[in-house]
Amino acid sequence: MVAETHSPAVQVNSVSKAFGARPVLKGVSLAATRGEAVCLCGVNGAGKSTLLQIISGLLRPDRGSVDVGGHNTADHPGQFKRQLGMISHKSMVYPELTVTENLNFVARLYGVTNRAARIDELLARTGLTAFSYDRAAILSRGLLQRLAIARALLHEPSVLLADEPFAGLDGSAVEYVLSVFADFVASGGTLLTTTHDTRLGLRCCSRVAVLDAGAILLDRPKEQVDSERFIEDYLSYARSGS
Amino acid sequence: MKHGWLGFKAIVAKDIVVELRAKQVLPTMFVLGLLIVFILRLAAESMPTGAGMPIMGAAALWIAFLFSGMLMQERSFATEKEDGCMDGLLLAPLDAGTIYLAKLCANVVMLSIFEAAVVPLVLLSFGLSIDGRWLEFVAVLVLGNLGISSLGTLFSAAVQVSRSQGSLLSIVVLVVLMPMMTPALFALLVLFGALPEEVAGFGSLAFVGSFKAALGYMIAFDAVFSVACWLLFGVILQE
Repeated sequence: MVAETHSPAVQVNSVSKAFGARPVLKGVSLAATRGEAVCLCGVNGAGKSTLLQIISGLLRPDRGSVDVGGHNTADHPGQFKRQLGMISHKSMVYPELTVTENLNFVARLYGVTNRAARIDELLARTGLTAFSYDRAAILSRGLLQRLAIARALLHEPSVLLADEPFAGLDGSAVEYVLSVFADFVASGGTLLTTTHDTRLGLRCCSRVAVLDAGAILLDRPKEQVDSERFIEDYLSYARSGS
Repeated sequence: MKHGWLGFKAIVAKDIVVELRAKQVLPTMFVLGLLIVFILRLAAESMPTGAGMPIMGAAALWIAFLFSGMLMQERSFATEKEDGCMDGLLLAPLDAGTIYLAKLCANVVMLSIFEAAVVPLVLLSFGLSIDGRWLEFVAVLVLGNLGISSLGTLFSAAVQVSRSQGSLLSIVVLVVLMPMMTPALFALLVLFGALPEEVAGFGSLAFVGSFKAALGYMIAFDAVFSVACWLLFGVILQE
Protein backbone atom coordinates (compact mmCIF):
# COMPACT_ATOMS: atom_id res chain seq x y z
CA MET A 1 0.00 0.00 0.00
CA VAL A 2 2.98 2.28 -0.37
CA ALA A 3 1.99 5.44 -2.23
CA GLU A 4 3.61 5.83 -5.63
CA THR A 5 4.67 9.44 -5.39
CA HIS A 6 7.77 11.53 -5.79
CA SER A 7 6.84 13.77 -2.88
CA PRO A 8 8.16 12.88 0.58
CA ALA A 9 6.11 10.30 2.44
CA VAL A 10 5.76 12.76 5.30
CA GLN A 11 6.22 16.50 4.98
CA VAL A 12 5.77 18.78 7.99
CA ASN A 13 5.67 22.44 6.97
CA SER A 14 6.32 25.13 9.61
CA VAL A 15 3.96 23.60 12.15
CA SER A 16 3.20 25.55 15.31
CA LYS A 17 1.02 24.47 18.19
CA ALA A 18 0.26 25.99 21.56
CA PHE A 19 -1.79 24.67 24.46
CA GLY A 20 -3.32 27.76 25.96
CA ALA A 21 -0.56 30.33 26.31
CA ARG A 22 2.20 27.70 26.25
CA PRO A 23 3.79 27.16 22.84
CA VAL A 24 4.67 23.49 22.31
CA LEU A 25 5.83 23.53 18.68
CA LYS A 26 7.40 26.60 17.07
CA GLY A 27 7.44 26.40 13.29
CA VAL A 28 8.71 22.82 13.03
CA SER A 29 9.56 21.55 9.54
CA LEU A 30 10.53 17.96 8.85
CA ALA A 31 10.45 15.63 5.87
CA ALA A 32 10.82 11.86 5.59
CA THR A 33 11.04 9.92 2.36
CA ARG A 34 10.06 6.34 1.54
CA GLY A 35 12.27 3.79 3.24
CA GLU A 36 13.55 6.32 5.74
CA ALA A 37 13.45 5.90 9.52
CA VAL A 38 13.56 9.15 11.48
CA CYS A 39 14.10 9.15 15.22
CA LEU A 40 12.87 12.18 17.14
CA CYS A 41 14.79 12.62 20.37
CA GLY A 42 14.06 15.12 23.09
CA VAL A 43 13.40 15.53 26.77
CA ASN A 44 9.91 15.44 28.27
CA GLY A 45 7.88 18.39 27.05
CA ALA A 46 10.06 18.95 23.98
CA GLY A 47 7.00 18.47 21.74
CA LYS A 48 7.75 15.00 20.27
CA SER A 49 4.39 13.42 21.02
CA THR A 50 2.53 16.56 20.00
CA LEU A 51 4.33 16.52 16.65
CA LEU A 52 3.39 12.86 16.07
CA GLN A 53 -0.21 13.58 17.05
CA ILE A 54 -0.34 16.43 14.55
CA ILE A 55 1.11 14.22 11.80
CA SER A 56 -1.47 11.54 12.63
CA GLY A 57 -4.31 14.05 12.47
CA LEU A 58 -5.26 13.58 16.12
CA LEU A 59 -4.34 17.21 16.77
CA ARG A 60 -4.70 20.19 14.49
CA PRO A 61 -1.79 22.57 14.12
CA ASP A 62 -2.39 26.24 14.91
CA ARG A 63 -0.21 27.14 11.93
CA GLY A 64 1.50 25.18 9.19
CA SER A 65 0.47 22.01 7.39
CA VAL A 66 1.26 18.30 7.15
CA ASP A 67 1.27 16.13 4.02
CA VAL A 68 1.25 12.34 4.26
CA GLY A 69 1.77 10.47 0.99
CA GLY A 70 1.12 13.68 -0.92
CA HIS A 71 -2.24 14.26 0.80
CA ASN A 72 -2.75 17.27 3.00
CA THR A 73 -3.95 15.88 6.32
CA ALA A 74 -6.49 18.67 6.82
CA ASP A 75 -7.98 18.45 3.32
CA HIS A 76 -7.93 14.68 2.70
CA PRO A 77 -8.39 12.91 6.03
CA GLY A 78 -9.78 9.74 4.42
CA GLN A 79 -6.84 9.19 2.07
CA PHE A 80 -4.00 9.95 4.46
CA LYS A 81 -5.42 7.90 7.34
CA ARG A 82 -5.32 4.76 5.20
CA GLN A 83 -1.57 5.28 4.75
CA LEU A 84 -0.86 5.77 8.42
CA GLY A 85 -0.27 3.30 11.23
CA MET A 86 0.40 4.39 14.78
CA ILE A 87 1.88 2.82 17.88
CA SER A 88 1.56 4.84 21.03
CA HIS A 89 2.50 4.20 24.65
CA LYS A 90 -1.19 3.34 25.05
CA SER A 91 -2.13 0.05 23.43
CA MET A 92 -5.34 1.29 21.73
CA VAL A 93 -6.86 -2.17 22.24
CA TYR A 94 -9.99 -3.18 24.16
CA PRO A 95 -9.16 -5.33 27.20
CA GLU A 96 -12.55 -7.09 27.07
CA LEU A 97 -11.98 -8.34 23.50
CA THR A 98 -9.72 -11.20 22.51
CA VAL A 99 -6.59 -10.63 20.43
CA THR A 100 -8.37 -11.79 17.27
CA GLU A 101 -11.50 -9.75 18.02
CA ASN A 102 -9.40 -6.62 18.49
CA LEU A 103 -7.69 -7.14 15.14
CA ASN A 104 -10.97 -8.02 13.42
CA PHE A 105 -12.49 -4.80 14.75
CA VAL A 106 -9.62 -2.71 13.37
CA ALA A 107 -9.74 -4.58 10.05
CA ARG A 108 -13.41 -3.62 9.70
CA LEU A 109 -12.70 0.02 10.56
CA TYR A 110 -10.12 0.16 7.77
CA GLY A 111 -12.14 -1.95 5.34
CA VAL A 112 -9.36 -4.54 5.06
CA THR A 113 -10.20 -7.16 2.46
CA ASN A 114 -9.53 -10.83 3.15
CA ARG A 115 -9.56 -10.10 6.89
CA ALA A 116 -9.15 -13.61 8.25
CA ALA A 117 -6.03 -14.33 6.20
CA ARG A 118 -4.47 -10.96 7.00
CA ILE A 119 -5.14 -11.39 10.73
CA ASP A 120 -3.67 -14.91 10.71
CA GLU A 121 -0.60 -13.58 8.90
CA LEU A 122 -0.07 -10.82 11.47
CA LEU A 123 -0.71 -13.13 14.42
CA ALA A 124 2.00 -15.42 13.09
CA ARG A 125 4.38 -12.53 12.39
CA THR A 126 3.94 -11.04 15.87
CA GLY A 127 4.07 -14.41 17.63
CA LEU A 128 0.52 -14.01 18.97
CA THR A 129 -1.08 -17.07 17.37
CA ALA A 130 -1.03 -18.97 20.67
CA PHE A 131 -2.78 -16.04 22.36
CA SER A 132 -5.35 -15.34 19.64
CA TYR A 133 -8.33 -16.35 21.84
CA ASP A 134 -7.02 -14.68 25.01
CA ARG A 135 -8.55 -11.42 26.11
CA ALA A 136 -6.21 -8.45 25.81
CA ALA A 137 -6.72 -7.75 29.54
CA ILE A 138 -4.57 -10.75 30.52
CA LEU A 139 -1.67 -10.05 28.14
CA SER A 140 1.71 -8.93 29.49
CA ARG A 141 3.12 -5.51 28.53
CA GLY A 142 5.34 -7.10 25.89
CA LEU A 143 2.49 -9.08 24.33
CA LEU A 144 0.25 -6.01 24.42
CA GLN A 145 2.90 -4.09 22.51
CA ARG A 146 3.00 -6.90 19.93
CA LEU A 147 -0.78 -6.62 19.61
CA ALA A 148 -0.48 -2.84 19.26
CA ILE A 149 2.07 -3.38 16.48
CA ALA A 150 -0.20 -5.90 14.73
CA ARG A 151 -3.02 -3.38 15.07
CA ALA A 152 -0.92 -0.63 13.51
CA LEU A 153 0.30 -2.79 10.58
CA LEU A 154 -3.00 -4.54 9.85
CA HIS A 155 -4.07 -2.25 7.00
CA GLU A 156 -0.56 -2.23 5.47
CA PRO A 157 0.28 1.45 6.07
CA SER A 158 3.12 3.17 4.22
CA VAL A 159 3.94 5.40 7.18
CA LEU A 160 4.37 4.15 10.74
CA LEU A 161 4.37 6.57 13.68
CA ALA A 162 5.72 5.17 16.93
CA ASP A 163 5.48 7.24 20.10
CA GLU A 164 7.86 5.89 22.75
CA PRO A 165 7.50 2.32 21.43
CA PHE A 166 10.15 0.92 23.80
CA ALA A 167 8.63 2.27 27.03
CA GLY A 168 8.20 -0.43 29.66
CA LEU A 169 9.55 -3.27 27.48
CA ASP A 170 12.16 -5.81 28.50
CA GLY A 171 15.23 -6.62 26.40
CA SER A 172 13.67 -9.32 24.21
CA ALA A 173 10.56 -7.25 23.56
CA VAL A 174 12.75 -4.29 22.58
CA GLU A 175 14.70 -6.50 20.14
CA TYR A 176 11.41 -7.70 18.68
CA VAL A 177 10.14 -4.15 18.14
CA LEU A 178 13.46 -3.19 16.53
CA SER A 179 13.18 -6.14 14.13
CA VAL A 180 9.63 -5.17 13.15
CA PHE A 181 10.79 -1.63 12.45
CA ALA A 182 13.71 -2.88 10.38
CA ASP A 183 11.40 -5.09 8.28
CA PHE A 184 8.92 -2.25 7.82
CA VAL A 185 11.58 0.18 6.61
CA ALA A 186 13.21 -2.47 4.40
CA SER A 187 9.87 -2.97 2.65
CA GLY A 188 9.79 0.72 1.71
CA GLY A 189 7.81 2.05 4.66
CA THR A 190 8.54 5.34 6.40
CA LEU A 191 9.08 5.24 10.14
CA LEU A 192 8.90 8.18 12.53
CA THR A 193 9.62 7.27 16.09
CA THR A 194 10.12 9.20 19.31
CA THR A 195 12.22 7.95 22.17
CA HIS A 196 14.08 9.06 25.27
CA ASP A 197 16.52 6.24 24.71
CA THR A 198 18.97 7.58 22.15
CA ARG A 199 20.84 4.27 21.91
CA LEU A 200 17.69 2.48 20.78
CA GLY A 201 16.69 5.42 18.64
CA LEU A 202 20.00 5.34 16.80
CA ARG A 203 19.66 1.59 16.26
CA CYS A 204 16.37 1.85 14.42
CA CYS A 205 16.80 5.07 12.47
CA SER A 206 18.53 6.30 9.35
CA ARG A 207 18.13 9.93 10.42
CA VAL A 208 18.06 11.57 13.78
CA ALA A 209 16.33 14.78 14.80
CA VAL A 210 16.50 16.45 18.19
CA LEU A 211 13.52 18.46 19.29
CA ASP A 212 14.04 20.98 22.05
CA ALA A 213 11.45 23.39 23.45
CA GLY A 214 9.30 22.99 20.36
CA ALA A 215 12.00 23.55 17.76
CA ILE A 216 14.26 21.22 15.76
CA LEU A 217 17.76 21.57 17.21
CA LEU A 218 19.47 19.04 14.95
CA ASP A 219 18.33 17.02 11.93
CA ARG A 220 20.86 14.92 10.03
CA PRO A 221 21.50 11.45 8.60
CA LYS A 222 22.74 8.90 11.12
CA GLU A 223 26.02 8.40 9.26
CA GLN A 224 26.84 12.07 9.85
CA VAL A 225 26.40 11.62 13.58
CA ASP A 226 29.11 10.30 15.87
CA SER A 227 26.87 7.91 17.81
CA GLU A 228 28.88 7.75 21.04
CA ARG A 229 29.46 11.48 21.19
CA PHE A 230 25.85 12.16 20.28
CA ILE A 231 24.60 9.92 23.11
CA GLU A 232 27.03 11.51 25.56
CA ASP A 233 26.08 15.06 24.55
CA TYR A 234 22.38 14.18 24.56
CA LEU A 235 22.55 12.64 28.02
CA SER A 236 24.35 15.62 29.50
CA TYR A 237 21.86 17.97 27.84
CA ALA A 238 18.93 15.89 29.11
CA ARG A 239 20.34 15.82 32.64
CA SER A 240 20.85 19.57 32.62
CA GLY A 241 17.15 19.85 31.77
CA SER A 242 17.87 22.48 29.15
CA MET B 1 -20.20 3.97 1.64
CA LYS B 2 -19.77 0.21 2.03
CA HIS B 3 -16.67 0.75 4.13
CA GLY B 4 -18.52 3.29 6.33
CA TRP B 5 -21.31 0.77 6.89
CA LEU B 6 -18.76 -1.91 7.80
CA GLY B 7 -17.14 0.48 10.30
CA PHE B 8 -20.55 1.42 11.71
CA LYS B 9 -21.49 -2.21 12.31
CA ALA B 10 -18.06 -2.94 13.82
CA ILE B 11 -18.37 -0.14 16.40
CA VAL B 12 -21.96 -1.05 17.35
CA ALA B 13 -21.10 -4.73 17.80
CA LYS B 14 -17.90 -3.91 19.67
CA ASP B 15 -19.67 -1.56 22.12
CA ILE B 16 -22.36 -4.12 22.92
CA VAL B 17 -19.91 -7.02 23.29
CA VAL B 18 -17.56 -4.94 25.49
CA GLU B 19 -20.41 -3.90 27.81
CA LEU B 20 -21.93 -7.37 28.02
CA ARG B 21 -18.52 -8.79 28.94
CA ALA B 22 -17.35 -6.00 31.25
CA LYS B 23 -20.78 -5.64 32.91
CA GLN B 24 -19.72 -2.19 34.04
CA VAL B 25 -22.92 -0.22 33.47
CA LEU B 26 -25.92 -2.50 32.95
CA PRO B 27 -25.96 -3.89 36.52
CA THR B 28 -25.66 -0.37 37.96
CA MET B 29 -28.44 0.80 35.65
CA PHE B 30 -30.73 -2.01 36.82
CA VAL B 31 -30.04 -1.28 40.49
CA LEU B 32 -30.72 2.43 39.94
CA GLY B 33 -33.90 1.60 38.02
CA LEU B 34 -35.10 -0.73 40.78
CA LEU B 35 -34.46 1.92 43.42
CA ILE B 36 -36.38 4.58 41.50
CA VAL B 37 -39.32 2.25 40.91
CA PHE B 38 -39.32 1.08 44.55
CA ILE B 39 -39.25 4.63 45.99
CA LEU B 40 -41.96 5.97 43.70
CA ARG B 41 -44.09 2.87 44.28
CA LEU B 42 -43.90 3.55 48.03
CA ALA B 43 -44.83 7.19 47.45
CA ALA B 44 -47.79 6.15 45.26
CA GLU B 45 -49.00 3.76 47.93
CA SER B 46 -49.39 6.61 50.37
CA MET B 47 -52.08 8.14 48.15
CA PRO B 48 -55.41 6.95 49.56
CA THR B 49 -57.41 6.35 46.36
CA GLY B 50 -54.67 4.78 44.25
CA ALA B 51 -55.18 7.54 41.71
CA GLY B 52 -51.52 8.38 41.89
CA MET B 53 -50.45 5.04 40.39
CA PRO B 54 -50.49 6.06 36.68
CA ILE B 55 -48.82 9.40 37.48
CA MET B 56 -46.10 7.86 39.60
CA GLY B 57 -45.68 5.00 37.12
CA ALA B 58 -45.11 7.39 34.20
CA ALA B 59 -42.72 9.45 36.32
CA ALA B 60 -40.86 6.30 37.43
CA LEU B 61 -40.32 5.21 33.82
CA TRP B 62 -38.93 8.53 32.59
CA ILE B 63 -36.79 9.17 35.68
CA ALA B 64 -35.33 5.66 35.41
CA PHE B 65 -34.65 6.02 31.67
CA LEU B 66 -33.13 9.48 32.07
CA PHE B 67 -30.71 8.76 34.89
CA SER B 68 -29.80 5.23 33.87
CA GLY B 69 -29.36 6.43 30.29
CA MET B 70 -26.95 9.16 31.38
CA LEU B 71 -25.02 6.68 33.49
CA MET B 72 -24.59 4.46 30.45
CA GLN B 73 -23.78 7.22 27.98
CA GLU B 74 -21.11 8.66 30.23
CA ARG B 75 -19.35 5.29 30.18
CA SER B 76 -19.68 4.88 26.42
CA PHE B 77 -16.82 7.30 25.73
CA ALA B 78 -15.02 6.83 29.04
CA THR B 79 -14.19 3.25 28.01
CA GLU B 80 -12.76 4.55 24.73
CA LYS B 81 -10.47 6.87 26.66
CA GLU B 82 -8.96 4.25 28.95
CA ASP B 83 -6.38 2.55 26.73
CA GLY B 84 -6.17 5.24 24.09
CA CYS B 85 -8.95 3.50 22.13
CA MET B 86 -10.53 6.83 21.22
CA ASP B 87 -7.32 7.70 19.36
CA GLY B 88 -7.59 4.34 17.62
CA LEU B 89 -11.10 5.20 16.44
CA LEU B 90 -10.07 8.67 15.28
CA LEU B 91 -7.07 7.31 13.38
CA ALA B 92 -9.37 5.09 11.30
CA PRO B 93 -10.57 6.44 7.94
CA LEU B 94 -14.13 6.94 9.16
CA ASP B 95 -15.88 10.28 9.28
CA ALA B 96 -16.95 11.59 12.67
CA GLY B 97 -20.63 11.26 11.70
CA THR B 98 -20.28 7.49 11.27
CA ILE B 99 -18.62 7.16 14.68
CA TYR B 100 -21.42 9.23 16.25
CA LEU B 101 -24.19 7.20 14.60
CA ALA B 102 -22.57 3.93 15.66
CA LYS B 103 -22.18 5.11 19.26
CA LEU B 104 -25.77 6.39 19.24
CA CYS B 105 -27.06 3.08 17.89
CA ALA B 106 -25.15 1.12 20.56
CA ASN B 107 -26.52 3.42 23.28
CA VAL B 108 -30.09 3.04 21.95
CA VAL B 109 -29.70 -0.76 22.01
CA MET B 110 -28.31 -0.75 25.56
CA LEU B 111 -31.06 1.55 26.83
CA SER B 112 -33.63 -0.67 25.07
CA ILE B 113 -32.29 -3.69 26.98
CA PHE B 114 -32.75 -1.71 30.19
CA GLU B 115 -36.25 -0.60 29.13
CA ALA B 116 -37.23 -4.18 28.33
CA ALA B 117 -36.50 -5.09 31.95
CA VAL B 118 -37.88 -2.00 33.69
CA VAL B 119 -41.14 -1.50 31.73
CA PRO B 120 -42.79 -4.81 32.80
CA LEU B 121 -41.62 -4.17 36.35
CA VAL B 122 -43.29 -0.73 36.40
CA LEU B 123 -46.48 -1.97 34.71
CA LEU B 124 -46.81 -4.80 37.22
CA SER B 125 -45.83 -3.00 40.39
CA PHE B 126 -47.99 0.05 39.65
CA GLY B 127 -50.86 -2.07 38.27
CA LEU B 128 -50.93 -0.14 34.99
CA SER B 129 -52.79 -1.10 31.83
CA ILE B 130 -52.19 0.05 28.24
CA ASP B 131 -55.58 -1.08 26.91
CA GLY B 132 -54.23 -2.54 23.70
CA ARG B 133 -52.27 0.58 22.73
CA TRP B 134 -48.95 -1.31 22.70
CA LEU B 135 -47.79 0.10 19.40
CA GLU B 136 -48.22 3.69 20.60
CA PHE B 137 -46.60 2.77 23.91
CA VAL B 138 -43.55 1.29 22.15
CA ALA B 139 -43.40 4.34 19.85
CA VAL B 140 -43.29 6.71 22.85
CA LEU B 141 -40.55 4.64 24.51
CA VAL B 142 -38.48 4.45 21.31
CA LEU B 143 -38.80 8.21 20.68
CA GLY B 144 -37.83 8.95 24.29
CA ASN B 145 -34.92 6.55 24.06
CA LEU B 146 -33.66 8.19 20.86
CA GLY B 147 -33.93 11.68 22.34
CA ILE B 148 -32.08 10.76 25.54
CA SER B 149 -29.41 8.79 23.63
CA SER B 150 -28.76 11.34 20.88
CA LEU B 151 -28.01 14.12 23.36
CA GLY B 152 -26.28 11.87 25.86
CA THR B 153 -23.94 10.45 23.21
CA LEU B 154 -22.86 13.92 22.08
CA PHE B 155 -22.34 15.31 25.56
CA SER B 156 -20.53 12.18 26.71
CA ALA B 157 -18.00 12.78 23.93
CA ALA B 158 -17.80 16.46 24.89
CA VAL B 159 -17.11 15.59 28.52
CA GLN B 160 -14.31 13.21 27.54
CA VAL B 161 -12.72 15.63 25.09
CA SER B 162 -12.91 18.58 27.49
CA ARG B 163 -11.85 16.40 30.44
CA SER B 164 -14.71 17.95 32.43
CA GLN B 165 -16.42 16.20 35.28
CA GLY B 166 -19.25 13.80 34.47
CA SER B 167 -21.65 16.00 36.46
CA LEU B 168 -21.47 18.50 33.62
CA LEU B 169 -23.04 15.85 31.37
CA SER B 170 -25.97 15.39 33.73
CA ILE B 171 -26.68 19.11 34.10
CA VAL B 172 -26.50 19.97 30.41
CA VAL B 173 -28.38 16.89 29.19
CA LEU B 174 -31.17 17.34 31.73
CA VAL B 175 -31.67 21.00 30.81
CA VAL B 176 -31.64 20.36 27.05
CA LEU B 177 -33.94 17.33 27.37
CA MET B 178 -36.68 19.24 29.20
CA PRO B 179 -38.55 20.26 26.01
CA MET B 180 -38.88 16.55 25.16
CA MET B 181 -39.69 15.28 28.64
CA THR B 182 -42.93 17.29 28.86
CA PRO B 183 -44.60 15.69 25.81
CA ALA B 184 -43.02 12.33 26.74
CA LEU B 185 -44.64 12.46 30.17
CA PHE B 186 -47.90 13.68 28.65
CA ALA B 187 -47.97 10.73 26.23
CA LEU B 188 -47.44 8.14 28.98
CA LEU B 189 -50.05 9.77 31.20
CA VAL B 190 -52.56 9.49 28.36
CA LEU B 191 -51.64 5.86 27.71
CA PHE B 192 -51.92 5.01 31.43
CA GLY B 193 -55.33 6.68 31.59
CA ALA B 194 -54.32 9.55 33.89
CA LEU B 195 -55.07 12.19 31.24
CA PRO B 196 -57.67 12.41 28.46
CA GLU B 197 -56.51 12.38 24.81
CA GLU B 198 -56.71 16.17 24.69
CA VAL B 199 -56.06 18.65 27.46
CA ALA B 200 -57.07 22.29 27.35
CA GLY B 201 -56.21 25.15 29.71
CA PHE B 202 -52.91 26.36 31.11
CA GLY B 203 -49.74 24.73 32.36
CA SER B 204 -46.96 22.82 30.61
CA LEU B 205 -49.02 19.64 30.05
CA ALA B 206 -51.93 21.62 28.63
CA PHE B 207 -49.44 23.33 26.34
CA VAL B 208 -48.74 19.95 24.73
CA GLY B 209 -52.48 19.69 24.00
CA SER B 210 -53.05 16.14 22.79
CA PHE B 211 -51.48 12.71 22.51
CA LYS B 212 -50.89 13.17 18.78
CA ALA B 213 -49.24 16.54 19.38
CA ALA B 214 -47.05 14.96 22.06
CA LEU B 215 -45.85 12.35 19.56
CA GLY B 216 -45.27 15.14 17.03
CA TYR B 217 -43.17 17.14 19.50
CA MET B 218 -41.09 14.08 20.31
CA ILE B 219 -40.52 13.24 16.64
CA ALA B 220 -39.52 16.85 15.94
CA PHE B 221 -37.18 16.94 18.95
CA ASP B 222 -35.51 13.69 17.94
CA ALA B 223 -35.12 14.77 14.32
CA VAL B 224 -33.68 18.19 15.19
CA PHE B 225 -31.34 17.01 17.94
CA SER B 226 -30.18 13.82 16.21
CA VAL B 227 -29.14 15.79 13.13
CA ALA B 228 -27.68 18.66 15.19
CA CYS B 229 -25.69 16.25 17.39
CA TRP B 230 -24.49 14.33 14.32
CA LEU B 231 -23.20 17.57 12.80
CA LEU B 232 -21.71 18.86 16.07
CA PHE B 233 -19.90 15.62 16.88
CA GLY B 234 -17.18 16.31 14.30
CA VAL B 235 -16.67 19.82 15.68
CA ILE B 236 -16.32 18.48 19.23
CA LEU B 237 -13.75 15.89 18.17
CA GLN B 238 -11.67 18.53 16.41
CA GLU B 239 -11.35 20.39 19.68
